[in-house]
Amino acid sequence: MAFSELRVPSSETFLEPVQVYLEKLGEIFGVGEGEQTSLSIAVMELVKNGMEHGNSMDPEKHVLIRTERLPGRLKFEIEDAGTWKPEDEPGYEPGEGEELFSSRGRGVLIARNLARWVQYDLTEEGRTRATLIWPLV
Amino acid sequence: MKIHEEKKGDVLVIKLSGKVIGGPDLVELKTAFQNAVNHDRLKILLDLGHVSWMDSSGLGVIVSGHTTVKKAGGEMKILNATKKIHELFIITKLITVFETFRDEEEALQSFED
Repeated sequence: MAFSELRVPSSETFLEPVQVYLEKLGEIFGVGEGEQTSLSIAVMELVKNGMEHGNSMDPEKHVLIRTERLPGRLKFEIEDAGTWKPEDEPGYEPGEGEELFSSRGRGVLIARNLARWVQYDLTEEGRTRATLIWPLV
Repeated sequence: MKIHEEKKGDVLVIKLSGKVIGGPDLVELKTAFQNAVNHDRLKILLDLGHVSWMDSSGLGVIVSGHTTVKKAGGEMKILNATKKIHELFIITKLITVFETFRDEEEALQSFED
């Protein structure tokens, strides 16, 4: 069983290094070559949400990315320092009509559709935590 | 991310390459769309053929650009979206908003139809 943990300041400066880290992690943990980009997109959507909604892009506040290799799957937990309400985020289906033209609000939708398994809950300390399961085929 | 602009007749081809991740990249892209409208370049073909990575933030700026161009009376179309990016357009249903093309000549011709 393999395990990795990364704490990232909530700053746009760190977005590309985190994206590279996630693709490399996917490669090391056995995600197929054609799926590593999709994995990094899905997890990055949740990391960005944590930075933005949970931490208000305050570089003093961190997002924790915890990755664990389980039999047949990778488990990602993304924790921020806030208590935002992800239940307002879209599910698997995008909006219709004028909602389609919004410039925001597609992150969780994309993560859920790429990974097929994304869930939000609270840590014991009451902070927002996203869990994403990526199947290894 | 890099942006390269090329005029082909009355169509402005905006070619993106590299990763569209966030921050300054998105501001630069938004500015490119606004500048096109300011200079009355209202037929825009956005070439995504060399974009290696994009997420919802990039899509958001493209939608915002589409709205800006449309309000000015123009239109924006998509060329050469890679398989991964095309998948994002499908997931978000933006595939129903944009005309997409694989062939540049065909895309350019479509602005004349």
